[in-house]
Amino acid sequence: MPHQCTGCGEVFEDGSKEMLSGCPECGGNTFQFRPKGADLPNDPDPPDPDVDDTGSDPDDPDPSGPDGDELPDRDDGAVAGTVGRATTRVRDFVSPSGEPDPNATWPSEASGATAAEPATDDGEIIDADARRDDAGVDEDDAQASARTGLASREDVRDVGEPRTGPAGSEPAESGPSGSGWTGDTGAGSDGAADGRSDRPPAGEGDQVVSDPDDEDPDLTELREQLNDQFESIKIVEPGEYELNLMELYEREEYIIALQENGRYVIQVPDQWIGSDFDDR
Amino acid sequence: MGILTDLRSSISRATSSLFTGGEPKRIGIYGPPNAGKTTLANRIARDWTGDAVGPESHVPHETRRARRKENVEIKRNGKSVTIDVVDTPGVTTKVDYKEFLEHDIEKEDAVRRSREATEGVAEAMHWLREDVDGVIYVLDATEDPFTQVNTMLVGIIESQDLPVLIFANKIDLDEASVQRVSNAFPQHETVPLSALEGDNMDEVYDKIAEYFG
Repeated sequence: MPHQCTGCGEVFEDGSKEMLSGCPECGGNTFQFRPKGADLPNDPDPPDPDVDDTGSDPDDPDPSGPDGDELPDRDDGAVAGTVGRATTRVRDFVSPSGEPDPNATWPSEASGATAAEPATDDGEIIDADARRDDAGVDEDDAQASARTGLASREDVRDVGEPRTGPAGSEPAESGPSGSGWTGDTGAGSDGAADGRSDRPPAGEGDQVVSDPDDEDPDLTELREQLNDQFESIKIVEPGEYELNLMELYEREEYIIALQENGRYVIQVPDQWIGSDFDDR
Repeated sequence: MGILTDLRSSISRATSSLFTGGEPKRIGIYGPPNAGKTTLANRIARDWTGDAVGPESHVPHETRRARRKENVEIKRNGKSVTIDVVDTPGVTTKVDYKEFLEHDIEKEDAVRRSREATEGVAEAMHWLREDVDGVIYVLDATEDPFTQVNTMLVGIIESQDLPVLIFANKIDLDEASVQRVSNAFPQHETVPLSALEGDNMDEVYDKIAEYFG
């Protein structure tokens, strides 16, 4: 269950092309990555069949696909519920103990946007962040392959997506509309990308953005671009910044001054002096 | 923050506690840019101390450094609560100097403002992690509250188990919808107000005393 829409909870197989043009369910363009190899105390083995219910729809690249009519109405009640659940997830995400909350709800549970969504998903989401460093250790062959290789052209063609030409050197930000991780201009999507869905994928995200329309994407370059996105402050150009709020919040050091050349000054917390000084 | 500042803060807190019987809570005023945070901070500070906290402006990111007003003593129902009000820069995921250009600010100045605003957001997030005992989350009631930034920040605040009040500001404007704000965060109490006009400030202070006293 590597990718999950943060809006409706729709699950996507790792390397799925559907999500590249936005979630077919709700049109959302932020996704939560959950490495398959990361086991959980309360969810030791994420069900693989999940990926089939979303990944087996390759003939419908249209983001508004057959399930698109389930897009929740933006009436206050429904949205309030969604926000409430999202808040719950954020709270779990940043919980200092990292302890998954078994009662935490995932949007898909209540919204019913995904029929085959198991109730155990919330645990997975929470754990994705805490265990991202371990993700590479236990991953299976498929996951390892996805991390290191690109989808074959046959795979891409099978999906029937229009090949709109190379995305050039910036596929992560200039891909199909609606697919951007953080490149889109909508403030809402940026917030999600910065704060939640961006962090877990770390190195894995390259599979996602490398899939779309590139003829010969440079994997190393893609990785660098993605890594850039996970920094707490990204300098797009002088005077234009993208901020990863969750990173900023979680950093112990404190950025106090940005420099024109891209460097920044930080205040190092006392704890960094040594372990004996951690009683601050 | 230097040692002297910490020391001074500690001393002022100790001094204050002698008179109020409790250590003043440091209340952070958070929210997106242009929600009226500084206007609220100034309103509170002026009402109870006579001083302002900082300049208010329609230009977003006018507040680019957190500002603190210490020992604001609020008297309610025969009791008094003392808080330190911390006005923080508006939190956002994107800062672009071009938005300043719309306010007749020269490019060089706009770029500088943008950089300072970014530093301010970093500072605000850092304070949220370490330096506040409670949060007043200010929203412009004329704007859509269903944003990821709002959701994320409220989620972080909840994760810290900090007491939080949601303030639906700018109710003096026709487009304001308090209901929409309270619908967005039903798990928290929403207090309508106009910090600019001073509307409903009695309830504001009642709630501050109740939540942070």
